[in-house]
Amino acid sequence: MTNFQIRAKEKIGHQAQPAATLKPIVRNLVKDSRAMLAKRPDDAKLRAREARQYALDHLEELHEQVKQTCKKNGIHYHRTSTAEEACQLISKLSGDARRIAKSKSMVAEEIGLTNYLRNENREVLETDIGEYIVDIEGQGPSHITAPAIHLNRQGIQKLLDQAGLEVVDDEPLTLSHAVRDTVADFFKNTEVGITGANAIIASSGRIMIVENEGNVAFGFSKPPIHIAVTGIEKVVATEKDALAIAQVLAPSATAQPLTAYTHFISTPAKNQERHLVFVDAGRSEILKDERYREILLCIRCGACMNACPVYTAANGLSYGSPYMGPIGAVLSPLLWPDRYKDLPEASSLCGRCSEVCPVNIPLHDMLLTLRADAIDKAVTDKTVERLTWLMWSHIFSRPRIVLMGTWVAQKTLQLTKYLRKQTSLDPRGIPPIKNQRNIDMLIPLFEANAMPATEEINFKPDSLLQLFEQQAGEAGFKIENEPTDSLKTTFTVTAKGAIAITGSVILVEKEPFMKQLMEASDVKIILDKKNIVEFPSDADGLIGINENTLIMTGASRTADIEKKIVRGIHGPQNISILMK
Amino acid sequence: MTILRPKDVSSSRRVLEALGESVDEIKGFCCGQPAYNSGFRKEARLVGRKMLQATRNYETVVIPSGSCTSMIRTGMPKLFIESQDVSIEQQTKNFWDFGEFVNSHHQINQIQFKMTGSIVYHDSCHGRRELGLTPNLVNLIQRIEGLDLRRLPHEEECCGFGGSFTVKQPEVSVAIARAKLEEVEQSGARILVSEDLSCLTHLQATAEGDGHTLETWTIAELLDRALND
Repeated sequence: MTNFQIRAKEKIGHQAQPAATLKPIVRNLVKDSRAMLAKRPDDAKLRAREARQYALDHLEELHEQVKQTCKKNGIHYHRTSTAEEACQLISKLSGDARRIAKSKSMVAEEIGLTNYLRNENREVLETDIGEYIVDIEGQGPSHITAPAIHLNRQGIQKLLDQAGLEVVDDEPLTLSHAVRDTVADFFKNTEVGITGANAIIASSGRIMIVENEGNVAFGFSKPPIHIAVTGIEKVVATEKDALAIAQVLAPSATAQPLTAYTHFISTPAKNQERHLVFVDAGRSEILKDERYREILLCIRCGACMNACPVYTAANGLSYGSPYMGPIGAVLSPLLWPDRYKDLPEASSLCGRCSEVCPVNIPLHDMLLTLRADAIDKAVTDKTVERLTWLMWSHIFSRPRIVLMGTWVAQKTLQLTKYLRKQTSLDPRGIPPIKNQRNIDMLIPLFEANAMPATEEINFKPDSLLQLFEQQAGEAGFKIENEPTDSLKTTFTVTAKGAIAITGSVILVEKEPFMKQLMEASDVKIILDKKNIVEFPSDADGLIGINENTLIMTGASRTADIEKKIVRGIHGPQNISILMK
Repeated sequence: MTILRPKDVSSSRRVLEALGESVDEIKGFCCGQPAYNSGFRKEARLVGRKMLQATRNYETVVIPSGSCTSMIRTGMPKLFIESQDVSIEQQTKNFWDFGEFVNSHHQINQIQFKMTGSIVYHDSCHGRRELGLTPNLVNLIQRIEGLDLRRLPHEEECCGFGGSFTVKQPEVSVAIARAKLEEVEQSGARILVSEDLSCLTHLQATAEGDGHTLETWTIAELLDRALND
């Protein structure tokens, strides 16, 4: 039995099946993601793919450019070739810091960063709510964008209890807010903030990061040192390319129009350092291999796992890798050839992963190629299987033998049913060769259930302004047409523009402003009605050149517990937009 | 197919003959998919090439199984890509899925299909995603007068079979099948119909292993029974 099979079998054999928790959640996610992507330009997926493709085709060129543009912005550029080297560098950059706030980063999971820093006797807090929860459990995340998706509320309450948090009930709101308070408290005094990055923009030297909770905003704006860690493939050429990715990323990952915050991080504040650490760890090798390089197009949305029947049945922990689901089954054996040989077998090849992938990576084809590659490469492996297929090929290339053998095969099949052990996890017998049909079965058990009528909301806004107001309202902004005097407004800012389809406002400032914004309880944003564009991909003229920019789509929120949306995580909660 | 469900072969023949086609049965060949999906490309080529040779002289080859058709039409050109034999890619275009062929046949409107009762439809992943057969197959079943066709709410989800996957990961494979069977049960219909007999075999074995009764019919069998002759 392979490692995946052992783990999956153990999980499926458990009374609480992984699918009981996962299935209802991922089914809704897939459906809602599809609906959300339909509200993007028709060629949105293609544009995202082209942005990523360009990056892979011009990787070294773009890195040269990133070096220059980051320098101009005061961001220190680093490139490391192995996981070990990356951890050592980040440790060095952290100096003698004792308290490190880490937000979600798949590359950090991949290189084992948290453990590395903890082994140096530093306190590292996972500040993403889902990551905080799975950190207590100690088995790593089970999903790349929803780390605790395998746990239900009761399980999470138990874990938080275990960690000493006070939780009076198992409501997602109570649980999320309990973690939020712990994290906010930790941020009062941290020396280093470690974040991931979704794209590094070569033309401007800015780091794009998307998030919902506001812990990333804290992480790069509050501590005196900010370190962003990411894979070398994550560069893109322009702001337009970054936006092309952002506009399919949130819909594919969480079925949101955009995440609450889409940051374009540039110059650090005075007395603050900012480092950008690129990790290779095998990527250059993958890039050289025509058969697999497309895997580096991945934007880490997790749509492939949401759509995967194997992932849903076995859950993400069964993969035993930081990368799970179809992307994990392809990427893990490429990054660690010795450790995850069995993962390409963890797929029924149904092809749904490739179908939902927003950058059209042919995931299931790559799984097939990996399988064939393993057979061609390791000739000493799988001797029995090799012999079986060899025999099979000699029989099935001789039709007369096949036909003569048919009768024998049928009888043998029937006989082997006595040999085959049927278990509760695999109760199947040998398929009977039935020529008799029970026509009575045509009578149904009951009349067909009427399909619930799908409610179609036919609200067609007749202007971008109307569309924006509607969407911004849904995102949780308050729209004002007359200035109201509120004593409570603690932060006022003029927006550079807005995006109608997502209800987002765009804030662009020369000086870093996230720290101030995050500490305000009430925010007033002044928006000129003239500056509204329809799609995120139209907003490249509105996000500045190399400033600190935030595309804000409502107040912070989380859906890390059973995918139920809980509002009011970090940062301002009362945000009004004054239309001018 | 000849081994597992010989009756479906004769069903296919009767439906094709009703359309006025003369039918030759090509027996005892395999498209090579089982080996191909397990990574054994050399073995798949050996077997697949024989099948291609045997069907070389036919303009139209109809296959009563979605996943075999998909192997031939989308897998084979990739499998033989290194041999640079353009005739192979050309030849794979002669292959039709049974349901697709029947539904788009110029004589189809001349045939009357009639049957009273209810069935529930299972879409196969290969048919749906690799070949885009779903609209054709559903349309074809809807031609049967008096038949109550029920659809699964998550029709696009896999049944868990996956060829060698079902052997190598039996527990996951069965867990996926059980989720599918749950929806089949909720449909109220007791006959499951699909173009893909490998899905059907897997689902039937799981259902029976769990002590449920389930009839599984291929589309060919359904049409054969609904032929009004």
